[in-house]
Amino acid sequence: MENALGESGYQATMMLIVYALGALGIGGLFMALFWPKRWKLKYRMEFFFVVLLIGLVWYADKRSTEMFTAYQSVLPPEAGEISAEAGESVEGFDRTIKVIAFQWGFAFLTDDDEISRNAAVVKPGEKVLFRIYSNDVIHGFNIPAAGITTEFDPGEGRDIWIRAPQEPGKYLIQCLNYCGVGHAQMKAWLVVEGAEA
Amino acid sequence: MASANDIARMGGTPHWEPSDIIGKMTIKDLLFSDDYRHIAIKGILTSILMLGLGGLMAILFRTELAVPDIQFFDARPYMSLMTLHGMLMVFGFVIPFVVNLMYYMMPKVLGTDKLIFAKGAQWSYWTLILAAVLLVISRPDFTWTFYPPMSLRVGGELIWMGYLAVVLVAISEFLAGCVVFANGWAAAKRIGWSNLPLMGWAAISEGLLLTISTPVLGLVGVYMFTDWLQITALFDPSGGGNVMTFMFLFWFYGHPAVYLPLMPAIAVLYTLLPRFLGRPIWSYWSGVVAFALLTVLAFIVYPHHFQPANTVSGWLERTTQILTMMIFIPSTLHVFNWVATLWYDEVPVSAKQSVPFKFIIAAIFFLILGGVTAYLNAQIAVDSDFVHNTYFVPAHFHAMFVGFMGNMAMAGAYYLYPYFTGRMFSQRLGNTHFWFWQVGILTKVMMMYYLGFVYFPRWVVDYLPLKQWAMPQLILTGGAYLIGLGFIVFVFNLMWSSTRGRTVQGDPWPVVVQKGDTPVPASATPAE
Repeated sequence: MENALGESGYQATMMLIVYALGALGIGGLFMALFWPKRWKLKYRMEFFFVVLLIGLVWYADKRSTEMFTAYQSVLPPEAGEISAEAGESVEGFDRTIKVIAFQWGFAFLTDDDEISRNAAVVKPGEKVLFRIYSNDVIHGFNIPAAGITTEFDPGEGRDIWIRAPQEPGKYLIQCLNYCGVGHAQMKAWLVVEGAEA
Repeated sequence: MASANDIARMGGTPHWEPSDIIGKMTIKDLLFSDDYRHIAIKGILTSILMLGLGGLMAILFRTELAVPDIQFFDARPYMSLMTLHGMLMVFGFVIPFVVNLMYYMMPKVLGTDKLIFAKGAQWSYWTLILAAVLLVISRPDFTWTFYPPMSLRVGGELIWMGYLAVVLVAISEFLAGCVVFANGWAAAKRIGWSNLPLMGWAAISEGLLLTISTPVLGLVGVYMFTDWLQITALFDPSGGGNVMTFMFLFWFYGHPAVYLPLMPAIAVLYTLLPRFLGRPIWSYWSGVVAFALLTVLAFIVYPHHFQPANTVSGWLERTTQILTMMIFIPSTLHVFNWVATLWYDEVPVSAKQSVPFKFIIAAIFFLILGGVTAYLNAQIAVDSDFVHNTYFVPAHFHAMFVGFMGNMAMAGAYYLYPYFTGRMFSQRLGNTHFWFWQVGILTKVMMMYYLGFVYFPRWVVDYLPLKQWAMPQLILTGGAYLIGLGFIVFVFNLMWSSTRGRTVQGDPWPVVVQKGDTPVPASATPAE
């Protein structure tokens, strides 16, 4: 699945590594139990194993840092401020939507001064900046179809951006941080409609 | 051939003359005795009770989650069940159970023949009981990590009891830390650090983790209380406070908290594996290095729990990622060591047939299954994509807490059973328990991993009727019921075998390498 940066290889590679490590470990355990041949590992094997692990750690750090640095570099340098006006458009994005998260829902304010409690409406493929504020307690903001999630505290602004899906339709937006008894109902929709951007 | 050094490092065998200690305990013994076996038995039995209570809560809310729509529990009762499930399991079952296993085994393994500072263990136990009572009365319903400002605003009138309970848990665990550290330290001083059995190293590690992290938890409890009284405003932004203050303080305890049950469980594994195999661990120093590395790293990776927050950015974000990835190395060293130990010589038939050994192998299996996904969780990009606060996180920690630590707790309980009842439990019931649990835990963990991958959110009483959400939840609930059934079989076995089990004399766990060999019992020890 593509993430906001349009990459689908990174996550797949990491999951493959995890499956391989898991298979190695579980395979080793079962062989040690059931395979008739006994094997006394030389101590230096463990050093090689640690070197392999450090290599995997280095690789994951490198790739993950590339991803999140690329993602964060697009964001505006300062988080937006809470003000009465709807958000102005920010350069570099096709659309800017101000989001107010509250117990228990989201309010989307577009730069045309429209407000919706259910949906953020975007065009296919658009680069959309969400400037998010919490009205009361910690909330989360997650769009599964865009592969991004974040959390934010009351009193702070938080920016995230997505590339809207190409297929028109309704995509789930949900709060992922427990925020009270209405948490399970705290959902909204990313509505993708209209002509390509 | 094992060298003299290896044998010393295996420690004294955790072997006593089997006798009906439980049967002979009086109420006075149960409440006040400072004999380490009485204290440990009390702790273990109480932990089993907490496991049952916490498990019952899980069965109840799992039943609600089996299909979409609200059937039995509304949001508030559901969250009460879930919060208490978390708190009772973490504070009441998984940490005390394995710590008490260590209390029972350390005197023999470390060769001191008594539990140093047993009074501390006694006070630790009673403080925890008081905390549990207060917690249940206060009925928190805002998750076991009780993030403010919500947790300051939504509790009922008695919620201050919950904050007080947090302080008491901190005190209880601090005392436990003093006990284990004192025992490890005394043994090291007496026989030398390079002769200290791995359980001793674990005791040092556990002691440091407990004594350094719990004071901060205590502070968190105090500040929650004063914030709630509105005489301070540390955590609530509406009063001028900052949520990040809570995050840094709580998770400074919260990350070591997950290793508090892990260290003793690993220690018990390092002690029992050689016991059942009749030969030493493959590499002593690998174990020592792993314990030391984990203890140090445990204190500096905690920002990964709130990694998506704004404050965890720049240098802090990068180092948290690197250190979190590195902390998976010590645990891998332990697994490598255990697999190598199993592999270098015959696995005795006596081991393969014994219930505790089976639980040990299952524990290692789940440590691998839960541990490899740490590679994904640690990467900020992946965490921000699908891991954070989806079911992927509880999948990881249930594989660890239930799959590894739960199974090790059972291995320890079954191992000790003949020693404190004088009888052997029913093998058939033990095996039934074992299989119910492994199938149940595997089902549960795999379903949770899948649900996390498809973005099922944490902490929800109800969910949209999407097929990729509904079907796995139903299967997950089935897995949970299986675990519950296994628990019932376990408790029945404990009770039934205490009067009908075969009496045991000598060593209940003699090593028989090949079928037909003469059993090799543990070295005879004088009756206690």
